[in-house]
Amino acid sequence: MKPTGILFFPAFDWAISPTHPEREERLLYTRDQIFEEGVMDLPQIREYQPRLATPRDIARVHFCVPSIEAVTTEAHLVSAGGALVIGDAVASGEVKNGFAIIRPPGHHAMSVVHGNRGFCNINNEAIMIEYLRRRYGYRRIAIVDTDVHHGDGTQEIYYHDPDVLFISFHQDGRTLYPGSGFVEELGAPPAVGTTINIPLAPYTTDQGILLVLEELILPLLEEFKPELVVNSAGQDNHYTDPLASMRFTATGYAQLNRKLAPHIAVLEGGYSVETALPYVNLALILAMAGIEHDNLREPDYDPAAFKEDPGNLARLKRMAALQRENFRRREEEREAVRKSGQDFYTATRRIYYDTDNIHEFQQVRQRLCPRCCSYRVIASAAAHAYGRQTRVLCFSIPLACCSACRDEAREAYIRSREEGGAGFDYLYLQDRPADEYRRFHCQREQEVTIV
Amino acid sequence: MVKYRESGTPVREARTLLLGIDVGGTSTDGVLMHDGALVMSVKKPSSREKLAGTILEVLDELLEGRDPGALRRLVISTTLVTNLLATRSGPRTALILVPGRGLPFDYFRLAPDTYFLKGSIDFRGQVTEEISPFEIEKAVAHIRAAGIRHLAVAAKFSIRNQAVEQEIVRTLRRLYPEARVVSGSETANRMNFPRRAATAYYSAMTGEAWEEFVREIREALRRRGIKAPVEILKADGGTMPLEVSRQNPVETVFSGPAASAMGAVALTRRRENAVVLDIGGTTTDIALLIEGEPLHASKGARIHGRFTHIQALALRSLALGGDSVVKGAAGGVEITAERAGPAACFGGPAATVSDAFVVHLNLDLGDRARAEEKLAAAAAGSGLEPRAFAAAVVDQTLERLSRLMQEMFREWENEPAYKVWEIVHRRSFRLDRLVGIGGAAELVVPLLAEKMKVPGLVHRLAPVANALGAAVARPTLTVQLYADTQQGRYLIDREGIEGPIENPASFQLEEAKKTALDWLARLASAKGAGEYVGQARVNMAEQFNMIRGYSRVGKIFRVEVQIAPGIIDAFKGVSD
Repeated sequence: MKPTGILFFPAFDWAISPTHPEREERLLYTRDQIFEEGVMDLPQIREYQPRLATPRDIARVHFCVPSIEAVTTEAHLVSAGGALVIGDAVASGEVKNGFAIIRPPGHHAMSVVHGNRGFCNINNEAIMIEYLRRRYGYRRIAIVDTDVHHGDGTQEIYYHDPDVLFISFHQDGRTLYPGSGFVEELGAPPAVGTTINIPLAPYTTDQGILLVLEELILPLLEEFKPELVVNSAGQDNHYTDPLASMRFTATGYAQLNRKLAPHIAVLEGGYSVETALPYVNLALILAMAGIEHDNLREPDYDPAAFKEDPGNLARLKRMAALQRENFRRREEEREAVRKSGQDFYTATRRIYYDTDNIHEFQQVRQRLCPRCCSYRVIASAAAHAYGRQTRVLCFSIPLACCSACRDEAREAYIRSREEGGAGFDYLYLQDRPADEYRRFHCQREQEVTIV
Repeated sequence: MVKYRESGTPVREARTLLLGIDVGGTSTDGVLMHDGALVMSVKKPSSREKLAGTILEVLDELLEGRDPGALRRLVISTTLVTNLLATRSGPRTALILVPGRGLPFDYFRLAPDTYFLKGSIDFRGQVTEEISPFEIEKAVAHIRAAGIRHLAVAAKFSIRNQAVEQEIVRTLRRLYPEARVVSGSETANRMNFPRRAATAYYSAMTGEAWEEFVREIREALRRRGIKAPVEILKADGGTMPLEVSRQNPVETVFSGPAASAMGAVALTRRRENAVVLDIGGTTTDIALLIEGEPLHASKGARIHGRFTHIQALALRSLALGGDSVVKGAAGGVEITAERAGPAACFGGPAATVSDAFVVHLNLDLGDRARAEEKLAAAAAGSGLEPRAFAAAVVDQTLERLSRLMQEMFREWENEPAYKVWEIVHRRSFRLDRLVGIGGAAELVVPLLAEKMKVPGLVHRLAPVANALGAAVARPTLTVQLYADTQQGRYLIDREGIEGPIENPASFQLEEAKKTALDWLARLASAKGAGEYVGQARVNMAEQFNMIRGYSRVGKIFRVEVQIAPGIIDAFKGVSD
């Protein structure tokens, strides 16, 4: 039996600010718990060490404004690099599965990055997934976001990609940051049905979440048949989390991960540093390594403490049925889009960066191609605090893009460049098929290739 | 020799002789050093049955006709504990554990007689489930009925609260006074419960045999009128006084390789990165010196496949030595793991690795014609000419050794790191020198050094490097402190020491370091290392703000201070 890979990177020398939830202390008690247990000495476990993600790894996913260096710290590169190491370990078959216990987190980071939102700068999972697709040829991937906050960054990155099934359950956006993740968010027209959200009522318990798993997530995975399942593993559904209001327990987390059996889990949020994280992180490790978890529970755990509201269960059942249906009808919906004869799908949105207080306005256009998952053009304007404004135009060519669409996108980028930037500060080209990433500084008329 | 003080009163030059004895698997070596010069060395076959007897024979030979008063110190590196554990001949020992919450209990069933008690402590040291006196009584009754007299106790998170373990120890001693009880918090109270449990267990198992050895040595020295301090070499390459060794005898396990590595340190005495190759008959042991200090295994010594908290060298072994028999294989050579006797050039029955080097280098060592003849016979199956065959054996030997060394370098470079700074500034190993000891080092090391493009050293005292290492190794001591200002207390990783933090609000990292160093000084003078307190260094210092809500409620500190392995001040290096 192959071992489970664990990469533990607590970034003991990094914090957003001294009293911020994302601070040095966050994984201190997790360290105590897993090292005191001797987890890393077990034959079922293999410990890995992070490396630094390269600018190219990041540019494969993100348009960092004005540059990667400006919006990341070394901690972000190490954290993302930790996910890459675990990705390699799983993809190469060294381990049967792997858990990257890393910080800082990443699931609120979207394609365009003007700064930090929801404690995230760059998206660790997406960086890992695009790296694995590039290096090992994966195509169909499922991401299950189990963080209490909607994984809006990951959702946005894969909203247009029918080969990535993104499922997120989270505390209802009407009651918690980031205020999105509703049932209606199903994906862009060419990828409709591969984004699935399950907003949960506050105080939902193990029973409620496990019902969502059984009645929705597992059936969808069964049908989608992904080559890789990634758990975007937030631990803030726990009943002691200070930022959210759910009632999930360590036992519930262990059961969830045992049944979900992700190939890779990447740590996201979770800010109950002392009363939840040590137990939940250990629960995940035990579940992934196939070790029984019946002796693992919080000191104040009382199995009778949390009773699920029958009304909530009935609501969750209905929501699961609705989303199963939305998922099953995805081909039909896409066919209708293909037949409509439209050339582009366009959407606009506003994005708020809570940590850095930035207001971003975006217009996204995706080419609708009957043959491929085609390119996107994102026009983004960001208003920073104290009045600074930045405007960027980004061309994103996905791996599955056909060559005609790809040429079209590249020509559009070159045309914009020749026009001197067409009123934007920076132009970006993200050509994943060529693994080529460029940034054009319009005022200086200077182009750099990111390597 | 007579010296005069300025006053003109003649005094005897006293206490200048250093004596080291290293008991090995096959032979026991002893050296007597004076002022950097080898006075005398002795080699005797080791005897498992009369271990102390052999040591005393070597001692007597070295001191024959000399004044025992001239002895400055006597250091013994012995295989008693290593053998006891290797042959699994220690007495039946019970392991009493309080695993609390976490992994299933079965994962901690480290010993045939493991007893699990109820009770739980968390990572802050808070008792989340009480122990049950009734359960302890039941366990004692069972242990007593089974005739087990050696007991080890360990509780998960006793690194944060030693009281639970100590209460169990007190109860055991009261209920079962004839038993010998060892606890994890007294031996090595460091993070990692299974390693702590294993350390306490093996310490309990070896304690009685060690006591007997100590008594025997103590008595023998008294009869000989030897009053010089007697020290025992530990697995980490440091020494401890004979009396102190009774506290945790298992620290003497695997002291042999430590003796050799310290011998290499004594012979080079440079702050450089070196590989120490101890090339014996059929095995080669490789140790690393980092800036002149032996590198320790990050997971501690491994006993019966279990990790422990015993600091020991990061040692790698290869089943390849000077006497390894070589054979022809289709299109190449095979270096076997077997020994048929000495090398052919020394009259052995088969061609060996040493023979290949002798022929390849045209050395006048033993009977080269005979080496050539045996190599020719071995080469027959390979389709190679005898000289080409010898060259191929040499190549393969160098290749396997250098590959293993590279692996060790990479391992050191990739040691776990948990800070951004450490990952961004990953260290890389730069090799400065190869140091050869052991019988075949003289043949192998020069070529290996050439291949790796570094200087090689095979000192003329290399054959007695192990005993020399023992003679001149200095005492070592490592102390860890854990402090929690919210709780207003700190813990030391040894002997159950705990203390209050007087001013929690103003307690800073500098004070945490100072507290750790103060305890190191106190413990060092009790453990014969007082002289080296000034050379102690801080290995690790961590601090964490504890934030609850949006304000700081306290700080957590972890500090490790160490008197690292080194050479005693009295030894200034080997005179050439």
